[in-house]
Amino acid sequence: MGKKFEEEEIEANLLPVMNIMLLLIPALLLAMEIARMAAIAVSPPKFAATADQKQDEKQEKPLNLKVFIMEDGYRVSASGQQAGAEAGKSADSNSPTIALAKPGTPLDDYDRYDYASLGSEARKYKDLFPHETVVTISAENSIPMQVLINTMDAMRGLDCKMMGAMTAGEEVPPECMFWQAIVEAGAG
Amino acid sequence: MTTEAEQAFIARKAAKREGRRGMQEEKAILGMTSLMDAITIIVTYLLKNYGSDPVVIAPTQGQKVPLSKADTPIQDGVPIYVSERAITFAEKRVVQMDETGQIDPAALQGHLIGPLYDLLAEEADKAKQMSEGKGEEWEGRIILVGDQNLKFSVLVDVMYTAGRAEFREYAFCVVQQNG
Repeated sequence: MGKKFEEEEIEANLLPVMNIMLLLIPALLLAMEIARMAAIAVSPPKFAATADQKQDEKQEKPLNLKVFIMEDGYRVSASGQQAGAEAGKSADSNSPTIALAKPGTPLDDYDRYDYASLGSEARKYKDLFPHETVVTISAENSIPMQVLINTMDAMRGLDCKMMGAMTAGEEVPPECMFWQAIVEAGAG
Repeated sequence: MTTEAEQAFIARKAAKREGRRGMQEEKAILGMTSLMDAITIIVTYLLKNYGSDPVVIAPTQGQKVPLSKADTPIQDGVPIYVSERAITFAEKRVVQMDETGQIDPAALQGHLIGPLYDLLAEEADKAKQMSEGKGEEWEGRIILVGDQNLKFSVLVDVMYTAGRAEFREYAFCVVQQNG
């Protein structure tokens, strides 16, 4: 004869679980990003063109758009010809293509450059070469990174949204101009 | 002088008091289920947010990450923190900067930053072995977490060094600007 046991209702003790959960909340909040981070893909700095690249250049003539950031403005050139250079010269060493928006301001004033004019210049080239997406950006040694990033933004187009193209495989929107940046050392 | 209504009210109160005297005090039980539900939802939301980023970027003290209109999400890669004070990799201060924000000349051989190269090459070897083990192709992506005021020459040196350590893809980490 077996004994009859009465079924007892046991209530789960939730307090230890609650304690862990309450500790997890501040830990996760601390680990969370407060600012939303993004990334700009860049191609590595080129120190010299390789033999293969030289061969490609012979086969087809690309726009070869270059932006050189100087302390006194931007020098913009395409296919080896600087925009706004004196007649008969490929580059004008005295004056930049786009002068500073705020001349006389220190280098750490990131708004000293005329990003709007650079964007307009990029739009002109994009209209002439709609399939071109590459720009080579170089700068003088003292130029701050924020200016380089702002320059990339201006060349890409301020209304350019690449999220869809990068994550969902959509086509790059037409607002995006030169979104593939190559960072080149000491060119110009 | 009390009215009839007041007398009736006092009588009712007295009757209630009498009735309560014989009753046992009730034990209040804290309802945990609803609180548990709320906390579970918060923890799940936070865990999801934490797990959706492939890399956790934690800038070093005093580092001001550049602002940009770019909206491309950060892909998996190896972060290098370059501030005006030092280059930090894998939570180690690899190279100190001088007062002008330039790399210590003792650590520099041309464009190559020696101590950073050693660590990056080691990291690249490890990552390659891991990728081979998984049967995947190694992407070799560097995430450069710079500073707004970082000089272009330093940036180029870091990129050159990463290139020498066989990293092929580069991304600048930026703080997304609204609008």
